[in-house]
Amino acid sequence: MKRLIRSEGYARARLVSGSLFAVLGFVVVVRTAMTAGISLNGLPGYVLGGAMIALCFVRFREYRSWKEGA
Amino acid sequence: MSTTSVSMKAAGDQPELRRSVTAWGSFAWGYSDVGADIFVGLGLVLGAAAGASNVAFLFAGLVYVCVGLAYTELAAAYPVAGGGQYFVFRGLGDIFGFIAGWAVLLDFTIDIVLFAWSCIDYLSKLLPVLAFTTHPWTHFAVVFLVIVGLATLNVIGVRESSAFNEIVSGLDVVSETAILFFGFLFAFRPEILIHTMSTSWPSTFNLMNGVSLAIISFVGLESISQAAQETQRPASVIPRTSISLILTILIFALAYSNLALGMQPWHPIPLDAHGHPQALWQYLGSEDNNGAAVQVLASLVPYYGAIAALYVPLLGAILLLISSNSGVFGSSRIAYAMSRAQLLPSIFQRVHSKFRTPAVSIAIFCGFAALELLFAALPSLSKYFNGVYAKFFHGENGITFLGDLYAFGAAASYSFVFLALISLRLNDPDSPRKFKMPLNIPMRYKGRRVEFPVVAVIGFLGIGSILVFTMITHAIGRIAGPSWLLIGVICYLIYRKRKGYPVFRSRPHDWRAQQMKILQEAGELELMDEYVANVKASDARAAAATQSPS
Repeated sequence: MKRLIRSEGYARARLVSGSLFAVLGFVVVVRTAMTAGISLNGLPGYVLGGAMIALCFVRFREYRSWKEGA
Repeated sequence: MSTTSVSMKAAGDQPELRRSVTAWGSFAWGYSDVGADIFVGLGLVLGAAAGASNVAFLFAGLVYVCVGLAYTELAAAYPVAGGGQYFVFRGLGDIFGFIAGWAVLLDFTIDIVLFAWSCIDYLSKLLPVLAFTTHPWTHFAVVFLVIVGLATLNVIGVRESSAFNEIVSGLDVVSETAILFFGFLFAFRPEILIHTMSTSWPSTFNLMNGVSLAIISFVGLESISQAAQETQRPASVIPRTSISLILTILIFALAYSNLALGMQPWHPIPLDAHGHPQALWQYLGSEDNNGAAVQVLASLVPYYGAIAALYVPLLGAILLLISSNSGVFGSSRIAYAMSRAQLLPSIFQRVHSKFRTPAVSIAIFCGFAALELLFAALPSLSKYFNGVYAKFFHGENGITFLGDLYAFGAAASYSFVFLALISLRLNDPDSPRKFKMPLNIPMRYKGRRVEFPVVAVIGFLGIGSILVFTMITHAIGRIAGPSWLLIGVICYLIYRKRKGYPVFRSRPHDWRAQQMKILQEAGELELMDEYVANVKASDARAAAATQSPS
């Protein structure tokens, strides 16, 4: 398990899933904007999309620090 | 819950904790605790907050982010097991440390029964004979046996391995992500979401009820600090894994609630008990499904739902069982730590002569959990009690009753943690903090430069409002929660008086020596050097200040 977690494949898999979250987050933000516009009803959608994009940044930072450490 | 290698020696000796938890292990530890909450919280919140469930999750989620940042800062600066109780004990003194610890203990006992209850709810989707609504006695008996079983396993010292914990958490993250991807890509309709929010917006009372229940989807941050004492280089690892954990949990909670309100189900939704058509969120929040809402939602996701319906009940049940076990393990450990700090009688330090585990603590807190189970299940087991609960407690029972108390305990202990963080920032600026909450105001306090944490104030106001919502909306929670605290405080005062310790004041503590020991044991030698330098500079400044007037 520990070997798997320290492998490059695992670090890349997390980066890829983070990127997918960013894509999904972008889709959620755009579709919410198209339906709700700038309104309170759209707020949960915007925060959700934003959090998904933020997770991608965190994963990217993790990957970078893993590369520096490797 | 986890892992690892706790060997508690005879009373009076130090418990030994081996630092073997990696970054992923630390994430998995937290995830198996907090990640399981959405399995319980989703149905309860949908039942209460209806079309505003996503707003309830959003409010509670933002408060949770503040709580998470506070725990991350404190756990990285003081990497010891004990969590909120230890931070409050150190920041606000003995009596507040006791109150916070006692509130955490309430949460842990509820944790045991709530997750055991929900675990059986998920299994009932595969084995209908376990369903609470149709077979309440069987459900009650099986949940009781689960609690007894976990207590026995903890007394003889068998816990799930760290690797098992990590594998289950990993599978769950992948599974939940897959459900969300398929749900959002193939079935999510923003127009349905907006329509549901407009037409099914709840009353203010129900919205407050929903927010107070939504916080239970984010309980379990104690595990961040519990993991800190067993993590390698905690000051560096904890902030990294915590931010990832906080974001993941927030995304899952918001995504599931938005999906439940705005999804076009793959199969038609069955009619309700009166033969009327119902929306997806009503179906998920009904008494039949609110204990296993994630599984029901997953089964209605296009394509992937067919597979998810088969394995999600089992995966959910395992994750919930791990979480229930964390209640047994956590309560005995917190009680042990509180007893060592002379906040609880020494009986809580007593370890089993053969198994070297805190058997007395385990038995006492599992006993409390069994009592809570009885209170929760009584109305469904007896018509007489059903009438009593309907008359005096607005008919609250079952999983809702447990959710009430869980929310109360969490909101009470988190409130104290924010106050402790502010106090420690002001009174202990020498301790190095590798991670700090954002938005700080530099200022001078008692002649020293400190940073005042604005986010802690925002978080305190947020969690304080959730505590108020809980007191307003939960008929049982507003009686049982404060009663638990009051009984605990009375017992604490009697215990301290009998032992001859200060009753309201704190006993003297050498925090400097303790901090040195903590950092040394954590292997954070650079931080230890920084701490020594800070302390020396602080002492020199104090000496100069005393000499200058003369």
